[in-house]
Amino acid sequence: MNSVLITLGLIALPLVAAPIIYLFGRTSVRKQRLLGMTLAKLLTLLVLVLEGLLIYLGVQVWVAGGSVATNIGTIQVGLDGIGLIVGTIAVGLGFCVVIFSIPYMENENGEEKYYALLLTLIGSIVGLACSMDLFNLWVWFELMAISSYFLVAFYNEQPASLESGFKYLTQSAVGSALVLFGIAILFSTTGSVAMWSVWSNATSGTPIVYAAAALIIVGFGIKAALVPLHTWLPDAHSQAPSGISAMLSGIVIEAGLVAMLRTLSVLAQTHFPSGIILLVFGCVNILAGNLLALRQVEVKRMLAYSSIAQVGYMLVGFGVAILSSSYVAAAGGFFHMLTHAMMKGLAFLAAGAFLYVLHIGKGEHTALVLDDLNGAAKKYPVVAFLLSLALLGLGGLPPLAGFMSKWQILVATAGVNSTLMICIVIFVALNSVLSLAYYVPVINRLYRLNISETAAAGRSISWIMVLPMVILAVGIVVIGVWPSLANFLTFNAAASLMYPFGV
Amino acid sequence: MSNFPVAFIVILSIISLAGIGFYCLLATRNMIKVIIGLQLMVKGVAMAFILGGNLTGQVNLAQTMALTVIVADTIVAVMGLALAVQVRHRLGTLDIKALSTLKR
Repeated sequence: MNSVLITLGLIALPLVAAPIIYLFGRTSVRKQRLLGMTLAKLLTLLVLVLEGLLIYLGVQVWVAGGSVATNIGTIQVGLDGIGLIVGTIAVGLGFCVVIFSIPYMENENGEEKYYALLLTLIGSIVGLACSMDLFNLWVWFELMAISSYFLVAFYNEQPASLESGFKYLTQSAVGSALVLFGIAILFSTTGSVAMWSVWSNATSGTPIVYAAAALIIVGFGIKAALVPLHTWLPDAHSQAPSGISAMLSGIVIEAGLVAMLRTLSVLAQTHFPSGIILLVFGCVNILAGNLLALRQVEVKRMLAYSSIAQVGYMLVGFGVAILSSSYVAAAGGFFHMLTHAMMKGLAFLAAGAFLYVLHIGKGEHTALVLDDLNGAAKKYPVVAFLLSLALLGLGGLPPLAGFMSKWQILVATAGVNSTLMICIVIFVALNSVLSLAYYVPVINRLYRLNISETAAAGRSISWIMVLPMVILAVGIVVIGVWPSLANFLTFNAAASLMYPFGV
Repeated sequence: MSNFPVAFIVILSIISLAGIGFYCLLATRNMIKVIIGLQLMVKGVAMAFILGGNLTGQVNLAQTMALTVIVADTIVAVMGLALAVQVRHRLGTLDIKALSTLKR
């Protein structure tokens, strides 16, 4: 297969398949038969496997020295290092989430729409990562946003779900408008929206270009949950179906971050101080995320706030990379993106499994509070163990993946050898300890307290739900023990990010 | 710079459209009006694309992009209105203040 077909297939396949999946599902709703819905689920899984295969073929072309890129009209698309890592995370996590959702969403009102929208979400993230054109980037970003609005407000009978959906829609739409304003300014000043020609034309740091960069940081920052702009995140993450929470936290906010980094790398020659801005936002994110997570009583809300802190680690990595042209720090940022997707994906899926067996499976839409988890390990040993594993990984305990990625970021930061950077290393490391203050009590509750009434009355867990969690857990342990496995992904992504900065 | 006054007027209207939209988002409590505010903002931005195309001599490209923006924005508006309909059904009001159970 040649590179043009691979690129087009990668981008077009999910978007072509999504309406077909919806139609299959729809037939089963009309005729009350299971066949259509089963076909829809199988087709979703098949499309994701094919996407994975296409990414693999693209890497083969790459390794052989070719480039995987093509033009659609004047729009350039291609699979580079960033596209590879984001595509891998989106497809891999999406695969796990689809399997998890088979029992979770069963017989839910509107089940047939769920898989089609989830596939659109995954496809739009892959497209966003492969786009080499600023306006096209915005179109994918908007498609991602629209499909996730539907998914966040999926339980459309619940007032809380509607509230989080509307909040998310308003904030995200404002963000899109600001990004678009920034792109329009860049288009007016450079006469192009193709990334490379904007890069070569935007050479001087005029105030209007800086204004565009600021608009782009704020706009994408709403999706990436930079701290004063994060207020949609805990609501959306806690009210969405659990599989979607895993997707939102694992890849959607990171996709916003990647879009921001790509756009800032286009402005590399204007000497816009993007490095220091990302670094400051990163530190604020870590502190605010940790402090806000400490006082939460709902499990999914606590995990959502911890996502804000985890995005902070990535921001510190990328900030150091841009500020001091450190190649390793950028790789560390991407590494944390990968490990965070696995760990937070696992944490949300495990919390979702508890939510399902304790509440939603019985038809009651109440939130899973920490007290429900008391002693749950006695009744659900496997899921409790997996949740503990994910939480310890997020806290950064040594044999797990989260430690390795944080370590890489901190080592690269310390390697810069300036007083400021050493202060940042100390700050980040202390915050990592602080984060254990809300991860560890959950594990304590799971194992040491007496079993709560809710947990004692829970339903049994289906093995289909446990399977994707086991896949993610194995990934966390393997990457933690053998972190160089991820080097191919992370260092290629770092190369693609740092190339416009002249590193 | 023969088209300077026109460009100046267009820039003014872009800024005022986006500004009015943003003010509308801040000041109103009605869901429908919030969506109208969003629409105003994005329409201002779409005009910025047309202006950019005019200044750099790429009117066709700019018009294509503006049309895409309008389509994408309409979908967002439809989605927002669908949520507003659901909220009206469930809670009997369109006031955003009724939607604040999650804050704590």
